[in-house]
Amino acid sequence: MSFLQLQQLKKTFADGTEAVKGVDLSIDEGEFIVLLGPSGCGKTTTLRMVAGLEAPSDGRVIIAGQDVTRLRPAQRDVGFVFQFYALYPHMTVEQNIAFTLESTGAARRECRERVADVSRVMGLGALLRRYPRQLSGGDQQRVALARAVVRRPKVYLMDEPLGTLDADKRLEMREFIRSRQQEMKVTTIYVTHDQEEAMSLADRVVVMHEGMICQAGPPTEVYDDPASLFVARFVGSPGMNFIPGSVVADDGQRFFVPHQSQARMPLGRDVRPGPVTLGVRPEYVYPSSDGPIAGSVVMDEYQGNFRSIHIDTGFAHNLVMRAGDADARAVGESIRLSFNAEHTRFFDGNTGQRL
Amino acid sequence: MVSQRTGLLKYGFVGPALVVLIVLNIFPLLYNVVLSFTDAELVGGGARYVGGSNYSRVFSTAEFVEAIRTTAVFVAAAVSIELCLGFCLALALQRGFRGKSAILTVLLIPMMLSPAVMALFWHQILSGDYGILNHILAAVGLGQPEWLTAPGLKLISILMIDVWMWTPFMMLIALAGLNSIPQYIYEAAEIDRAGAWRIFRRITLPMCAPLLALAVLLRTTDALKQFDLVMAVTGPNDAATQTLSALLFQKVFGDGKTGLGSAYACVLLVIVIALASVFTRYIDFIQRKQGKTQQ
Repeated sequence: MSFLQLQQLKKTFADGTEAVKGVDLSIDEGEFIVLLGPSGCGKTTTLRMVAGLEAPSDGRVIIAGQDVTRLRPAQRDVGFVFQFYALYPHMTVEQNIAFTLESTGAARRECRERVADVSRVMGLGALLRRYPRQLSGGDQQRVALARAVVRRPKVYLMDEPLGTLDADKRLEMREFIRSRQQEMKVTTIYVTHDQEEAMSLADRVVVMHEGMICQAGPPTEVYDDPASLFVARFVGSPGMNFIPGSVVADDGQRFFVPHQSQARMPLGRDVRPGPVTLGVRPEYVYPSSDGPIAGSVVMDEYQGNFRSIHIDTGFAHNLVMRAGDADARAVGESIRLSFNAEHTRFFDGNTGQRL
Repeated sequence: MVSQRTGLLKYGFVGPALVVLIVLNIFPLLYNVVLSFTDAELVGGGARYVGGSNYSRVFSTAEFVEAIRTTAVFVAAAVSIELCLGFCLALALQRGFRGKSAILTVLLIPMMLSPAVMALFWHQILSGDYGILNHILAAVGLGQPEWLTAPGLKLISILMIDVWMWTPFMMLIALAGLNSIPQYIYEAAEIDRAGAWRIFRRITLPMCAPLLALAVLLRTTDALKQFDLVMAVTGPNDAATQTLSALLFQKVFGDGKTGLGSAYACVLLVIVIALASVFTRYIDFIQRKQGKTQQ
């Protein structure tokens, strides 16, 4: 029996918006789950329903064997980190962190000790007497985190906690959150639209789209074996390349034929014939003089230790090839490309589902 | 050329308001100070400089002490009752419900009417013989007090009218204070497992405090000058209800002693300014405490 369960969770807002359309998810104790998706995919609404800040229209939330669907947030024993901190403006940093301890009736001395502990770990010691408005965004977010971790709730819920921070702060905080979570072994659900953040933090990434879960699995699985075109496009930076075409059977062999092309690419495995979209990550695209795809370079993006070469192949989207940092290309240069057949993925030409 | 023209335009905009301010506010204020050092009378000219004798008369009469006491009781009672009632009403009206805007409108009517009109209404309601209040009290078999003439009740009646008039004002400002607290603060407090009373005491009340203090300041300075209701209910020369303003009116227009009345006016002014500055300092203090001004 898993620690946290979402069963057919649905949310329809008063204006008729169906934000969440039936989410099923089982989470083990101590697991770090990241809900990943574009804005409006229902990930924050799902998180708020777990917290009790939003009442589900249907479905159940079960925490540690107890059905908490009808309980108030205060009765659920969860920690929540808000995207915009939500600190109490009229309280000092110390009072902000201690508030939750005092609410549960902890003794004054114990409060002070635990606040001191947490603020030492989080480097807030010098800021305890300050008010939130006197702090930078990064410091405010650290206070918000401290407020959540000062007690040990059953579940941590984090709503894009790093979304408003600068890139360097974000990396630092990401590291902090991960190590703290592993240390405390508290089940965590973390919401983000940043796939890189999701990959680096999660035990399991749950990709959401239009109120539903598209795929849930370890980061490597979501990256290597995306369940649909949507997941393939959303995960990875830059995302997967897509080439529309069809699979044809000939002489017991399977070939991929790109649209408006005579080229035939042997697949070496069994894919059902018909219209498909071929997906291949930029790192598995390479130049080859007899490759099936021809195009011309439109942009050479230098990224420090590698280059992303954007190639116009006549399809709706440019193809991106990952190349070595020394492998510069001139704009307009003609190029023929091939892929590593083993790393190609096929999606149904109509539904976008993985074949 | 251009700068000269905009310079003139600048004065053109400010000028009329400045003239009105000087003629209607600043000149009377200064003239009042001058008069308070003379033996000017309402009828007949020839005011002579009499030094501080008006002021020594103000501070040595029992009337003055009595008026201060009446005013203080009135202000303290009126403002605190209005604050409590207004805040409770605001809490009740904070959540949206059907007919909320209609109720809000009705509640705001007393504030929009002139105090003199209000006092006349209430005079009809509270009148001992033909007032509707006593009529109702009689119908349910209760006593019929002389609201407007019994010495112990007159001030309470005035207080009642003032509360009725100004509670909506407090409610309005308290409502603004309540609405300025973002929903996510309450959500955070829920997550932090605070109960309803704790949320009210530690979140709602302190976050409304600056606005409530402002409302109390405005009401206090206004109530200190209480005059219209006293005038309409009992007249200015009733010992039980004689506030400072009523007393100074009585001195100037009843006794015709303009110089002495001016001295009373100056004393009242100093009291209002002193109290106002205490309040503004307090508001400043809580705002700084909440980090609204950067260090």
